[in-house]
Amino acid sequence: MLFKYPVFAVPSRLHLADTSALPERPDVWRGDALGLAGSAVLPSGHAALDAELPGGGWPAAGLTELLQTRAACHDWRVLMPALARLAGQAGGPVVLVGGPDGLQPFVPALAAQGLPPSRLLWVQAPDAKARLWAAEQALRCADVPAVLAWLPQARPELLRRLHLVAMDHGRPLFAFRPAAAQQEGSPAPLRLLLDGSDALQVQVFKRRGPPMAAPVTLAAHAPSLAALAQRRAQRLAPAAAAEAPHVLDRAVTA
Amino acid sequence: MCWIALSPPEDQQAAWCWQALQFTPRVALEQGCVLLDVSVSLRLWGGLRALLAQLLRPALLPACQVWAQAPTARVALALLRLKMGDRPRPARVPDGLPLDTLAAAQPALAVLERIGCRDWGSLRALPRAGVARRFGAALLDALDMAYGERPEAFVWCQLPPVFDQNLELPALADNAPELMWTAQRLLGALQAWLRAGQRGVLSLALEWTYDLRRQDGVLLPPTASLPVRTSQATQDMAHIRRLLAEQLERTPLAAPANHLRLRTLQTEVLAGRNASLLPEDQAKGERLHELVERLGARLGADRVLVPRLVADHRPECMQRWVPAHAAGAPGAPTLPANAALQPAWLLREPLPLAMDAGQPVFHGRLQLLARPHRLDGAGWWDLGAPKFASRDYRLAFSEGWGLLWLYQELPRSGQGEPRWFLQGAYA
Repeated sequence: MLFKYPVFAVPSRLHLADTSALPERPDVWRGDALGLAGSAVLPSGHAALDAELPGGGWPAAGLTELLQTRAACHDWRVLMPALARLAGQAGGPVVLVGGPDGLQPFVPALAAQGLPPSRLLWVQAPDAKARLWAAEQALRCADVPAVLAWLPQARPELLRRLHLVAMDHGRPLFAFRPAAAQQEGSPAPLRLLLDGSDALQVQVFKRRGPPMAAPVTLAAHAPSLAALAQRRAQRLAPAAAAEAPHVLDRAVTA
Repeated sequence: MCWIALSPPEDQQAAWCWQALQFTPRVALEQGCVLLDVSVSLRLWGGLRALLAQLLRPALLPACQVWAQAPTARVALALLRLKMGDRPRPARVPDGLPLDTLAAAQPALAVLERIGCRDWGSLRALPRAGVARRFGAALLDALDMAYGERPEAFVWCQLPPVFDQNLELPALADNAPELMWTAQRLLGALQAWLRAGQRGVLSLALEWTYDLRRQDGVLLPPTASLPVRTSQATQDMAHIRRLLAEQLERTPLAAPANHLRLRTLQTEVLAGRNASLLPEDQAKGERLHELVERLGARLGADRVLVPRLVADHRPECMQRWVPAHAAGAPGAPTLPANAALQPAWLLREPLPLAMDAGQPVFHGRLQLLARPHRLDGAGWWDLGAPKFASRDYRLAFSEGWGLLWLYQELPRSGQGEPRWFLQGAYA
């Protein structure tokens, strides 16, 4: 035989399990581990929640969808540490677009939690289209650190447009939507469901990583309020045993 | 010396003069052409090529088709005429330039033609005394200026103190958005005017003239106008154009319009903006006041709100939402001591609660927590307030709605049952 055929080293079988050679990219991740964040992250201020979010916090650019089982369900509580941190930096106001029906943000309480009144701009848009437009305009503004939008009705292609604008301008957009939207598709890389009345339960049902086994439970109230409720519970326990209500409680026997 | 001659479109000569005034103070309008002496500002603008690139391509003005450059104004003008007439440029400039391109030679053109004198060089070769006697000294003066042997003087363009331009619409406009095309031209001229004077516009008025005196028997006003203002002086016509477009969208025209006039109401000297090398200072996007004005222009100024804290003990009076564009700088906030215990959402109107066996009910039974917090007395300074606001605030827990903020309005003496209201929700 005069010709020598080149010999290629062919492995006996392809190791699909060996993914150590995967490129380090935000859009490629192992199925059993959390992916990387696409860009910088904002620490959420809740350690248990950070552990479940890719990159360890809210995405600093792009759309994050927060679904609520009822109106005004823990929306400020879950975002407030991150917003307070943003408000601590120089810049313009956090823009609120829309809001739950019949409610207005109570500024003294927000200020006490770390979001001063000078860092709020509230846009009351009359209909869904105007809310989407206002959210997009706010994302394009260089001075706005974050946009919070209440979008009960929004088609996926419109959300995608907002997501791309937010990515392009490097700003976080938090969209609050009803829990019914969980069944709809969405371009948001991170989607959460907020639930619970006495405790705040967060179910991250879409993320770059494996599905969550059980919801994360966070404290539902600010520390001072929780301390008040706890003191009251401790005080009430012996009182209930003695069946002797305090004189101030007489009018409203529970 | 370095002169540039431009031939702008007929109706845009003033705007092109202002455009040229950005680059040099020596601008003149001669025979429908704009002349610039840029010899003293060439270095500032980075040379002739860089200056021409900026001069000839304004973003908003209709383009200038033809330009010429020469050491003296009359040569530049003559070269411009040749270009406009699609005639070839002579090999020797200025000697080879045809005589009909010299404005001062126009009356003598026929005679000179017959004696075989067709270009500048041959006219210059004629005896000066004879030429002066036959055609007047003005021709010799013009020729000397063209050759740079006498200084050239023109009536220099002055910047008017107020921008005020009136254009005829290309077609009658039936609705306000149709005015936008002409408004765009006016804005281009305004930008040239602002840049030439290094000013920024704060407010301007767009005014249109109606084509009809009366419509349906009703006498019409001759004009109608739309004021536009911005909170920070600007030369950025994109922002002004967006504001105009938003407002024109919502403006009805009483009758077809035929003229559009733009004038500035308030301008101020614009200081140059300091640029920064740091990447974090170069945020991409528009400024906050532009956002506020644009949102207000479409949604209404009363829908773009910022909060103001008010020192008051009644929660519904503790804050006021005011339009963002009119709100000044916020005062020092005075937070109530127990603000941390108050809810993040407040109902716009307190909601009266139904009662069940002496207990308030809201989507099921409420579990009352913590002891009452009493507020007493309306503010005497607030004449519109009800006389007594004696309330006991309570925290209540609802299975479906989490922690709520209620109050019980204490009855005045002998006035029935206490009433319960829902005022806030913790979130």
